[in-house]
Amino acid sequence: MTPPRRRPRLPDRVLAVGAALTSGAALVVALAIAPPDAMQGQAQRLMYVHVPAAWLAYACFALVLVASVAYLLRRDLRWDRRAQAAGELGVGMTALAIVLGSLWGRPVWGTWWVWDPRLVTTVVLLLVYAGYLSVRGLGDDRDTGARRAAAVGILGFVNVPVVHFSVVWWRTLHQPATVLSPDPAPMDARMALALLLAVVAFSLAGWLVLRRRVRALAEHDGALPPQDLPAGPRIVVRAGARP
Amino acid sequence: MTTTGQTMAVLRRELAIERAGREVLTTTLPLTAAFVVLAGLAFGPVPRDLASTAGGTVWLAVLVATVPVARALLSAELTEDAWDVMRGLTTPGSLYAGKLLAVWAALGTVWVLASGLVIVLFGVEPPAAALSAGVLGTLALASLTTTVGVLVASGARRRGLLPALVLPAGLPALLAGAQLSTPGVPALPWVVLLTSYAAVVLSASWAVFPALLEE
Repeated sequence: MTPPRRRPRLPDRVLAVGAALTSGAALVVALAIAPPDAMQGQAQRLMYVHVPAAWLAYACFALVLVASVAYLLRRDLRWDRRAQAAGELGVGMTALAIVLGSLWGRPVWGTWWVWDPRLVTTVVLLLVYAGYLSVRGLGDDRDTGARRAAAVGILGFVNVPVVHFSVVWWRTLHQPATVLSPDPAPMDARMALALLLAVVAFSLAGWLVLRRRVRALAEHDGALPPQDLPAGPRIVVRAGARP
Repeated sequence: MTTTGQTMAVLRRELAIERAGREVLTTTLPLTAAFVVLAGLAFGPVPRDLASTAGGTVWLAVLVATVPVARALLSAELTEDAWDVMRGLTTPGSLYAGKLLAVWAALGTVWVLASGLVIVLFGVEPPAAALSAGVLGTLALASLTTTVGVLVASGARRRGLLPALVLPAGLPALLAGAQLSTPGVPALPWVVLLTSYAAVVLSASWAVFPALLEE
């Protein structure tokens, strides 16, 4: 007998609805309202998924850092689960940003891959956090694995600023930051709106994925309180009755 | 015993282990020499190509050497109860500092060998800033190698993870070291990057090291 499906919690439903609405709005603005780039043409519209994926990856790696520090200070496995969920999502988003960047680079640069500092440092960042996830299998018990993962989660973040500032420090094919720059480049208001909506949509969807993954990890650890467990068929045993 | 005394005791122990086993001398230094010679063969023989790849070759050799250095300097801890004895005799800070100094000495030796070979075989003259890269870069990598080496060595599984963790995380040292070893490149931004990287890695390693030693 399959257990009955759990009804999503209210915050999850709010996040899901918010992500769906902003995703829809971002799609409309990005594909129908924002103009194509004067130099890059239609290929530039990949920016509306490439940049939010990279942003979400950075946010996830920052969360890995914060949760790792919190775990080492408090030794509460809830922080470790948050770090693990953020690490997994960050690795996925980094891989997505690399693939989308490659798809964007083909029509614009004429090649799938160049030895560009931003590209190389991003791939290295992906490898660092893939290593972070691998460390989780090192420990003989849950707490030892969490301690080691937290150490790597803290050390691994050192590379994140290097990736972000690589386009400033080196001569590079990759364009410098447009929005998060001390001297932001002018951008068409419709393009900026599409990008903002896409970033919000990715952030809400990422938050939802994190919440659900953290809960799944807690279930795996057997750490959920009774009210959070799935509502399955209940067996009531009366006194004197044979079960 | 003071913290400094404990640190020096750990360092003396590491050096005694190296004198007895000659692990770094017989494994890492030949690997470094082979690496530089083969890199020259792969990138040469045009002098201009060799000159442009010399700095990167030195730092790639140092980065690759972190793996056998970590294995050599942590091999003594692989025996049963070795960590318990070490924990009982010294504080985590002293243990970290002693091992860090030993790894720094080993990587410094690798850097000197790789730089010397590149000067002779590649026919290049590195700028003065390469010396600062040699000091700061090997210190940062030694800190990373010590922490990750202890992390992996104290586990029972997946010991092959060491290179997968150290090599990508050493990226800033590789980049800044290569740039500082190349003539004509402005030194200041790379010295700033390397100093910041070394400071952050040292601080983070110092902070997390005690947690790695817990049972």
